[in-house]
Amino acid sequence: MSVPDYMQCAEDHQTVLVVVQPVGIVPEDQFFRIYKRIASVAQVSIRDSQRNLYIRYRHHYLPENNDWGDFQTHRKVVGLICVTTCGSGKEWPQTSERFHGQKEVFGATLYDSRLLVFGLQGEIAEQQRTDVAFYPSYDDCPDVEKKVEDFVESIFIVLESKRLDRATDKSGDKIPLLCVPFEKKDFVGLDTDSRHYKKRCQGRMRKHVGDLCLQAGMLQDALVHYHMAVELLRSVNDFLWLGAALEGLCSASVIFHYPGGTAGKAAGRNPSAAQGQAADAGKRHRPGAQEVLIDPGALTTNGISADTSSEIGRAKNCLSPEDIIEKYKEAISYYGKYKNAGVIELEACVKAVRVLAIQKRAMEASEFLQNAVYINLGQLSEEEKIQRYSILSELYYLIGFHRKSAFFKRVAAMQCVAPTIPEPGWRACYKLLLETLPGYSLSLDPKDFSKGAHRGWAAVQMRLLHELVYASRRMGNPGLSVRHLSFLLQTMLDFLSDQEKKEVTQSLENYTSKCPGGMEVITLPDGLRLHPVPFTKLPIVRSVKLLDLPVSLRPHKQKGLMENSMSTKSPFIYSPIIMHNRGEERNKKIDFQWVQGDVCEVQLMVYNPMPFELRVENMGLLTSGVEFESLPAALSLPAESGLYPVTLVGVPRTAGNITVNGYHTSVFGVTSDCLLDSLTSVRTSGCLVEVIPSLPRLQLSTSLPRSAHPLQPSKEELSSSVSVQLFNGETQQLTITLENIGSEDLETLEITSKISNTKERLFGEFLIRLDFSGGENLLQDLMTVNGISVTGLPISSPLRQVLKPRAETRPPGSESSKTDYNHVKMLEAVMTFKYSGGAGKVEGYYRDLTLGLHVDVEPSVFFTRVSTLPATSTRQCHLLLDVFNSTEHELTVSAQNNQDLVLHASECQRMAIQVDKFDFDTLPQPDQETVRYTSLKLLEEERLHAQASMINSTLGITWDIISFGEASVEGVLNQLVLDHLQLAPLQWDVMVNGKPCDCDIIADCKVGDAVPLEVKLTNRSKNTVGPFALTVVPFQDYQNGVQNYDLQDAVTFIGSNTFYIDTVNPSEESLCLGALLFLYSGDFYLNIKFQDDSVGKEPGAGQGKELPLSWFGLPSIHIRAQEAPMEAGA
Amino acid sequence: MAVCIAVIAKENYPLYIRSVPTQNELKFHYTVHTSLDVVEEKISAVGKAMADQRELYLGLLYPTEDYKVYGYVTNSKMFRKLHNSFTDVMCNPFYNPGDTIQSKAFDGMVSAMMVQAS
Repeated sequence: MSVPDYMQCAEDHQTVLVVVQPVGIVPEDQFFRIYKRIASVAQVSIRDSQRNLYIRYRHHYLPENNDWGDFQTHRKVVGLICVTTCGSGKEWPQTSERFHGQKEVFGATLYDSRLLVFGLQGEIAEQQRTDVAFYPSYDDCPDVEKKVEDFVESIFIVLESKRLDRATDKSGDKIPLLCVPFEKKDFVGLDTDSRHYKKRCQGRMRKHVGDLCLQAGMLQDALVHYHMAVELLRSVNDFLWLGAALEGLCSASVIFHYPGGTAGKAAGRNPSAAQGQAADAGKRHRPGAQEVLIDPGALTTNGISADTSSEIGRAKNCLSPEDIIEKYKEAISYYGKYKNAGVIELEACVKAVRVLAIQKRAMEASEFLQNAVYINLGQLSEEEKIQRYSILSELYYLIGFHRKSAFFKRVAAMQCVAPTIPEPGWRACYKLLLETLPGYSLSLDPKDFSKGAHRGWAAVQMRLLHELVYASRRMGNPGLSVRHLSFLLQTMLDFLSDQEKKEVTQSLENYTSKCPGGMEVITLPDGLRLHPVPFTKLPIVRSVKLLDLPVSLRPHKQKGLMENSMSTKSPFIYSPIIMHNRGEERNKKIDFQWVQGDVCEVQLMVYNPMPFELRVENMGLLTSGVEFESLPAALSLPAESGLYPVTLVGVPRTAGNITVNGYHTSVFGVTSDCLLDSLTSVRTSGCLVEVIPSLPRLQLSTSLPRSAHPLQPSKEELSSSVSVQLFNGETQQLTITLENIGSEDLETLEITSKISNTKERLFGEFLIRLDFSGGENLLQDLMTVNGISVTGLPISSPLRQVLKPRAETRPPGSESSKTDYNHVKMLEAVMTFKYSGGAGKVEGYYRDLTLGLHVDVEPSVFFTRVSTLPATSTRQCHLLLDVFNSTEHELTVSAQNNQDLVLHASECQRMAIQVDKFDFDTLPQPDQETVRYTSLKLLEEERLHAQASMINSTLGITWDIISFGEASVEGVLNQLVLDHLQLAPLQWDVMVNGKPCDCDIIADCKVGDAVPLEVKLTNRSKNTVGPFALTVVPFQDYQNGVQNYDLQDAVTFIGSNTFYIDTVNPSEESLCLGALLFLYSGDFYLNIKFQDDSVGKEPGAGQGKELPLSWFGLPSIHIRAQEAPMEAGA
Repeated sequence: MAVCIAVIAKENYPLYIRSVPTQNELKFHYTVHTSLDVVEEKISAVGKAMADQRELYLGLLYPTEDYKVYGYVTNSKMFRKLHNSFTDVMCNPFYNPGDTIQSKAFDGMVSAMMVQAS
């Protein structure tokens, strides 16, 4: 007996063994179908006796084990059921013969046998035979169970008769010595008549009867018999049988105490039987008890010893649970004395362990198991070794020693692929290894490792994972290897040495070259699901930050619409209660928007924990909410890098709320989807962002190079800026090109500008004028053609210098003013292009493009002083300008109708310009609306500015250094100069001979003819003037300083030489007509004098008292009188 | 003398493990790991009521063919030294309970307790 049955348990002692075997050719699946049906009859209730018979079926049993049947009767094969296929009557004799042959194998011990014949029909099948049943086919055999029950009953009859036969053996009869196979030779030649021998025979027989009673369902009887056997055998030191008797005692007690059985999960092998047992559990031990009650004296009638039974109290017959273990220990120690009884010992250990497991006495159970480990059964085949280790593992599991269980399971797994085995069972090895995982507190779901400290014994777990990898590779399933190796790398990264990291990644790369790793769940044939292993540690991501669009592409909500959305949010403007909910942080909406169709960025801070360069390929974003086109990136992280920023980009294709769920990578050929939810160490400021419908995209380029020069108060971010250096007064053309590079049409474009240089503004000294002419048709162009260049945005900085009148008092070229002029001014302005279009415009979004202008202004030309000189004509005057060149270059100053003036560096010269006087009244008046809202002072300033610019444009003073520029006199004008430059509100026109006469025009007339003289007064002032009295006084200028007014002989007035002009209302005219008669030829001048009649009559009095003198500037008239041509002709 | 000394955290992972025959370290890992079953069993067997006065000596945990594994002992000088040293490690403000022990002092003390490898 060399093959232990590791599945045995204590209650197997009450079963009878029936072997079911196929005879001839029986298809395996059909046989096992029939076997299952037969095996379902595991418990048969005997009709008359209220007792149960338990049957153990085996389809394979070694005949040599059968030889131990006397030792323990449940090892004896008492029934044989053969299953056979018989196609025709011809085969019948052969089949029958085979059946008999099979019977002979177990012949000595068989109580009964049956043959189930399938497929045979006809004459032979008709015959009624008790030992043979005929069925037409495997599918048509409804009464197999019934047949088996009948068969079991017949076995019971034999068993019962045997029991009674043995139990009632007369004491006079010679009791045969029962013995185990290896004992036989020991008893040769022994004295059979000795008292010692007799006792031994008695003891062994008692034990045997005990076994039979147990099998026959008479538990109490069995106990009594076992007790007696123990007594008898102990006295003769028959240790092997003593052990067996003790074990029998234990078994019976176990059956009594634990009617549910001790097999544990092994009971699951036969569910129907287990159910049956459970159902009968209550009454199960009753029959035996009843037997004792009914026939207490029955035992006394047996022939072995009439009085032994009474010595043992009935209550004490059954062992207490503690005693069971004690007796098991004893029994095993006796078995241990016999080398050949190893299997018995081992099985006893297993049975004891099962009992202890039920009693929850793990420590003692482990001692039994420890003992079992060391039982030497001689040479075991590899398969037996595997079986042994597996069962040890199972038993350890049963008592709750999961680690030990895992250890033995692993040993079993290793045994499957031991080098001595010609065909290693990698599949079995792998399966067993998987079963060890719980024992090493290793779960193959990476989620269990993501939180908290590492669980379990890393060194051992690592080893196990390596073994799994190897086993799966040898199984020919590289996908599994990759998965396990990924898992190893991901979860054990902290425990791997640098060298190991290298090795693991290398082998991973080798595997993935054949079978790339993915994110799908691998389901093993036995239903185990291997979850994907995302490499969240390769590289480690520390933070995820969604980035706003660049300034120029950021969408803005229209103001009105913004308010709407605000109001719906909460009725409160301010609430002191801020919801602190950390969990929602990730789901918090970020307060900027992304735009459909525009590239959006997410910045990750990553680092590489590996001691070598890590190549991450195909790294992209995982999003949900809107359609998102991720543009994967590949990166290479240096060994053990610090935090390293990585920007992942993508384009949202639809509008809505987008959530960034995580990222995907491909490292070492394994693609992983890392979700942020499972990464607790990642910091993020929110992953939800709104994507608004698409907007057009403008690209701005300028004719001037861009500058990195930031504007000084960089309160707002600018999309681009331009910086330029100019002389005061210089004009620079700047071409701004706007190109729509987006996919949406541009529908609106607004251009605004503002000067951001607040510091300069405080002085109020500089003004910048940005002229955006041509903006209207620009829009049209952009809508039709992308990228049209728009010119004609002259940015002139004519920087009118509004030096206050104090400039007059300042001495020209003084030190203080010079430093002031030399100061380089800075001007900054921001142009904003606000545009919108497409679906985004419908939603009320627009975009801003800002261009910063930075101008360094260097001083050029200054007018230090201005004064006027009257010109010959009253309509004109001379403007005297002291021009100062504050540059370091020689420059040329020129004005309209004037010659150029060359000025050396820091030179000051006076230039005179003859100008027509100005009519400021023609300037546009500020409308009523503005007048109402602006102060008087401002209005005055406004007026002055308007006048100055008029003067400027007329003067057109320009300078020329390297570039052209214009200069302005604005700052140096004062009231006096202005008065002089202004046309008098009373305009006098003198007509001689119908021709207008002014300073230099000489009116010709003939001597003797009457010359009509017309004096017209036009009142342009706002007041009524007059009445006036005009007196025309002729004189002759001898050009030597002598003026002859005594010309009564030469000139005669026709009519009066004094005109009276009545009151002239504003914008009215008054005309005086007179005539002159020249009596001699010569050059005459007319001096027109006038008196204000409203004040007094004397000439000159009150002149200029009311009205400024300049108003009365009248032209002097030069008339040349000539002899009449007819005289010459005469 | 000892051939292998391990300090195990209460979540059953090693805080410290060291063995003298370094060539077969994994075997000791397995031995220690499996003997944890016994420790667990012994501790749970005592029950919660007795937790305070529990005898720290667990005695022989697990005899293997070559070695015997003993549980925590305070009544022998050897284990008291280990205990004291472990207490010192725990008192280190920079030590985070649960981390593997990397203390040099502890290491030195353990070395003194080990079989001197030739």
